[in-house]
Amino acid sequence: MKKADTNACFTEVNAIVSQCDRCGSCLTVCPLFGEKDIESSSARGKNNLARALVHGVVQPSDEVLGMVNFCLLCRSCVDNCPNKVKTDDAMIALRQYFADKNGGPGAKYKALGLLMKNRTLVKLSAGTCNVLRKIGANALLPNGVIPSEFTRRQYLASFAGPAALGSAAPLTKQNVSQESKVAYFTGCGMQMLFPDAVAASLAALRTVTTPQVVDNHCCGLPHLAHGQRTEFLELAKQNIALFEAADRIVSDCASCSGTLKHIAAYFADDPVWRERAAAFSAKVMGLSEYLVQAGYTPRKGGDAVITFHEPCHLGRGQGIKKQPRELLQATGRFVEMKGSDRCCGGAGSFHLDYPEIAAKVLEKKRSNIEQAGADIVVSECPTCLVQLQKASARSNGKFKVMHISQVI
Amino acid sequence: MISEEIKKKIRAIVGAENALDSKDECFGYSYDSSFVPLAEQHIPDLVVMPRSTEEVSGIMAIAHEYGVPVTPRGTASGRTGGSIPDNGGISLALHRMTRIIELDEGNMMVTVEAGVRTIDVYDHCAAKGLFFPPDPASWKYSTIGGNIAENAGGMRAVKYGVTSNYVMGLEVVLPDGSVINTGGKAIKNVTGYNLTQLFTGSEGTLGIVTKAILRLIPMPKLRNTIQLMFPSLDSACETIHKMLVTGVVPAAAEIMDKISLQAVSRHRKLDIDPRIEACIVLEIDAESDANLAKQAEQIKAIAAERGVQEVRVAASQQEVDDIWAIRRGLSSAIGAAAPNRFGEDISVPRNAFPETIRRIRKIAEKYDLTIAVYGHAGDGNVHPSVLCDLSKPGEEAKVHEAINEIFAVAIDVGGTLSGEHGIGITKRPHIEKALGASGVNALQLVKQAFDPKGIMNPNKIW
Repeated sequence: MKKADTNACFTEVNAIVSQCDRCGSCLTVCPLFGEKDIESSSARGKNNLARALVHGVVQPSDEVLGMVNFCLLCRSCVDNCPNKVKTDDAMIALRQYFADKNGGPGAKYKALGLLMKNRTLVKLSAGTCNVLRKIGANALLPNGVIPSEFTRRQYLASFAGPAALGSAAPLTKQNVSQESKVAYFTGCGMQMLFPDAVAASLAALRTVTTPQVVDNHCCGLPHLAHGQRTEFLELAKQNIALFEAADRIVSDCASCSGTLKHIAAYFADDPVWRERAAAFSAKVMGLSEYLVQAGYTPRKGGDAVITFHEPCHLGRGQGIKKQPRELLQATGRFVEMKGSDRCCGGAGSFHLDYPEIAAKVLEKKRSNIEQAGADIVVSECPTCLVQLQKASARSNGKFKVMHISQVI
Repeated sequence: MISEEIKKKIRAIVGAENALDSKDECFGYSYDSSFVPLAEQHIPDLVVMPRSTEEVSGIMAIAHEYGVPVTPRGTASGRTGGSIPDNGGISLALHRMTRIIELDEGNMMVTVEAGVRTIDVYDHCAAKGLFFPPDPASWKYSTIGGNIAENAGGMRAVKYGVTSNYVMGLEVVLPDGSVINTGGKAIKNVTGYNLTQLFTGSEGTLGIVTKAILRLIPMPKLRNTIQLMFPSLDSACETIHKMLVTGVVPAAAEIMDKISLQAVSRHRKLDIDPRIEACIVLEIDAESDANLAKQAEQIKAIAAERGVQEVRVAASQQEVDDIWAIRRGLSSAIGAAAPNRFGEDISVPRNAFPETIRRIRKIAEKYDLTIAVYGHAGDGNVHPSVLCDLSKPGEEAKVHEAINEIFAVAIDVGGTLSGEHGIGITKRPHIEKALGASGVNALQLVKQAFDPKGIMNPNKIW
């Protein structure tokens, strides 16, 4: 790694973490500290580890990298911090530092990054996942990496609401603009793991607009989160170019829409891409955000009680809190569960890297869903849906899991 | 360094998973919320997380036998370095001792373990209509043990006092591992020295508080919030003084100077008149609407006589929240106003408040620094906050000189070094100025009696 790069990374990290007053308010909200109550699990612990690294009090080591990686990037700490210290950004920057120092983020993340970068491989994986689901072999894979989907058809059959109410929502007169060119951004996770939800998202969009399906690239979050910033920027440029003709870019994956909205910040100092990136980010919307603005009329949901798990990248990441709830309330029997905005432990690949801790974090979510008396828990993020499917299994099927597009 | 033999003995008591010794993990126990710089010398050799008094006793017996220094720790929200293990040793983290043992409604007392968070004590008692008043700003994450060690204060101190006013009895593990109980539930208790009060505020230098019996009072039925804006600092301070001498005692009386107000105004995009020199936020409480209204009228009349520019008596919970948002948003507003800041804590006689602030302003001018001043005006607790940029050459030395002068002012006007944060490491160099050589010697004799080997939180207070 070039010295100048280290300096730039450390300057960025130091600017963030020097704002930490070490008060400890993050200890009360960090889901990981809630399960493993040692200082390095908390945001305060990580920020001060970063400070110590920058100032040479601790040396970079595999153990320090392990502490940096042990973060959900859920932003609960940022939300609760009096100084709004962006611990998630500092951890991403440090992961980049370690990846550069170690010649990459490690074989697992390199492979993941390569897969997500290649559109053909993503499509092939999506096909493979479909086959595995059809023959039931997905259940044999560990950690619920390829969950079964719960479709709207099954939902209507399970919860015997009036079947007529399950028909598509009517076209609304409150369209954003008939002239708006709305493009659908297909997330890799959605495509591979929840194709029925992708179809439902498109169906919902078609009631208010004519969505274009662009053969897009990965949003780049997996790369960014694991120290592959160059790959992230490459993907971002490709997506910026692909969507230039669109007026709105809608994604039904909270991580994708959150990442795409923030792309502009990564090009703020780039004279060539700055304006194009800013224009791109300004056009991005989450699915529920777009549907509410477009005046979408949700379908009635029958007699099932529905609750909402708010993805970190949707609520804290984008401030989209009201819209999904408004849509769900309109479907009928919506109940708010306790701790609906608390991370489920999924967090990209965190649940695969730390299955035991992720399961403990998820256990609280399962309990809250059950206490709410919900038949269905709805979310707007594929990783959350994967986690929630595990919670559903642990509850012996007391509740089902669906993407928001499948119930509205 | 702690030998493997000692680690093995300690692990046998608490279990291997509750004793950390990797340097990188131990680093997380080398700082608190003070401005003590990060340094290798503060990294403990071993972090031990006991779950019972018996475990604490066993650990202390080993530490005593081998002469290993032990630094107790709650959640490290202290602001003077009290829980920093200076020169290593054991960091004894008590945050897993979280049992609320008994809520004795008849005697209006609660017995809790040291690691219970302040807010949990408050909530647990409030559910039964009982009130635990001490409310340090850190009450959502600070522990009772830490509050007792530092004798923490808070905004309600003007009417209800500080932590020591509510500690009835303690269970303490002494440096040799023996366990003693002080005080108890008897309201009148004059048997022997008052060790309960001696341990309260002793900053973990005499022993480890593992349990506490806390006194409760009935929860006030009604409360309201009043905001007063003044064109002069003197008239704001005079208003508080007049209120108190005429018997109108608010539960909280917070003051903010112009620099603090402007920082909040910018940070929260509020429209605060730049001519306002001081803002007072008052909380009043009472048993009846009539009494609450009467207090508000008395306060308005006293403030009007002293030229108050704006008066706002909250008419809804939303207004209460809006008013408190200014005070509660202060910390982050000041934090955002500069790359770095040093928040200090001095305590002065109430009528010396205006003079203290004037002299702090002169110090700010002398050193070309911005110093925001706010505090608990009702009890004379001043929090000067020095805004600075430590990346500038010479800035840190300048800040320390300015802070030294602020401490000198506190002592000069008849006050003291700390109202609620303790002395710890950061104020150690100034303790003799506050207490005199004989005063410090007396403290050292007490320390010697309890901790002859000097293993209990060494290098603190003096």
